[in-house]
Amino acid sequence: MPRVLALIGLIAFTLLLAVPAIAHTPLCSCYDNGDGTITCEGGFSDGSSAAGVAIRVVDASGKVILEGKMNEDSEFTCDKPAGSYTVQFDAGPGHLVEVKGDDIVE
Amino acid sequence: MKKIIFVLLGLVVSLSLTIPAFAHFQMIYTPECALEKGGKIDLKLVFTHPFEAGHTMDMGKPEQFFVVRSRGENEPKKTDLLQTLKPITWTSLTNSGKAWETEYSARGGDHIFCLIPEPYWEPADSFYIKQNTKVIVNVGGEPGKWMEPVGLPTEIVPLSKPYDRWTGNVFQGVVMLNGKPVPGAEIEIEYMNHKPLLDKNAFAKEAAVEAPQDAFVLQTIFADANGVFTFGIPRAGWWGFAALDLDPDYTYKDKKCSRDAVIWIKAVDMK
Repeated sequence: MPRVLALIGLIAFTLLLAVPAIAHTPLCSCYDNGDGTITCEGGFSDGSSAAGVAIRVVDASGKVILEGKMNEDSEFTCDKPAGSYTVQFDAGPGHLVEVKGDDIVE
Repeated sequence: MKKIIFVLLGLVVSLSLTIPAFAHFQMIYTPECALEKGGKIDLKLVFTHPFEAGHTMDMGKPEQFFVVRSRGENEPKKTDLLQTLKPITWTSLTNSGKAWETEYSARGGDHIFCLIPEPYWEPADSFYIKQNTKVIVNVGGEPGKWMEPVGLPTEIVPLSKPYDRWTGNVFQGVVMLNGKPVPGAEIEIEYMNHKPLLDKNAFAKEAAVEAPQDAFVLQTIFADANGVFTFGIPRAGWWGFAALDLDPDYTYKDKKCSRDAVIWIKAVDMK
């Protein structure tokens, strides 16, 4: 019995570790750099790092056109997509921030 | 002859009595300190008496003006803004004075704007005044290193997040000289009682509040033995804190120079 408890404890602990900063509000803002690229800055309301958080660019039909991760400065820079697009900052279930391309200005 | 001297003396005394007890405040003014989105923000550097929108002093070319931007766990980055400053004339209710302005493109996180002005010669007091000033602007709600000293020679380091204060909260800070707390530092506090009009480079004529007596124009508190001060914020808007004469023996051009540290914070109403 103690062994089972220990195992459950271990699993719970691992699960906790795997969830990034879930108690905090995810934040993502994107800017047009004016040189044909955009930069997205991700983070959390408590100031913790968003390094490694998944980022996707999807087109109007929801098709993923670009995928990447936030760099060590919690930034992601890519060429500005043509046409209508949305940036998705995906910090885990329930922690998705979407930024519409139309709102990305200098 | 004696009578004339007496009358003159009387005049001098009454004139000096009519000068209200207000203090010099170095302002770094921008309309908002908690911005939803990044973009261009206006900054005005004015050396004035904000509660009364009173006498505005001529500023010389600042020694330093820069911003330290930090976002999340990223290393703070310092950007020099001195060369971006343009001279303006700021109009108070009683005069106009030389001031400076610039524009800055803010992105996410904390932006600590720092000004080291040229010392100002105050003929009325026969000493120089040098108010190193900070204001912290946040974009998007993601915090940075607002709580860390920038390393100004005199500096107020906030202990409360300076851009998340509701009306009625307290604001706490540490008064520092060369990175060390100043026990018992005297701090003067003024409310920005007249709205700065950005397009006119002037204060609005209308006052937000009326002081029932001169003591209320300029509030005074002292830091504790650790250099920490606490102030309950009674009203929404900008509040300036000036810790005075932190280095009493300091001189500039062989004259006494009051080394002060100023910080501005803005509170908002809960509604």
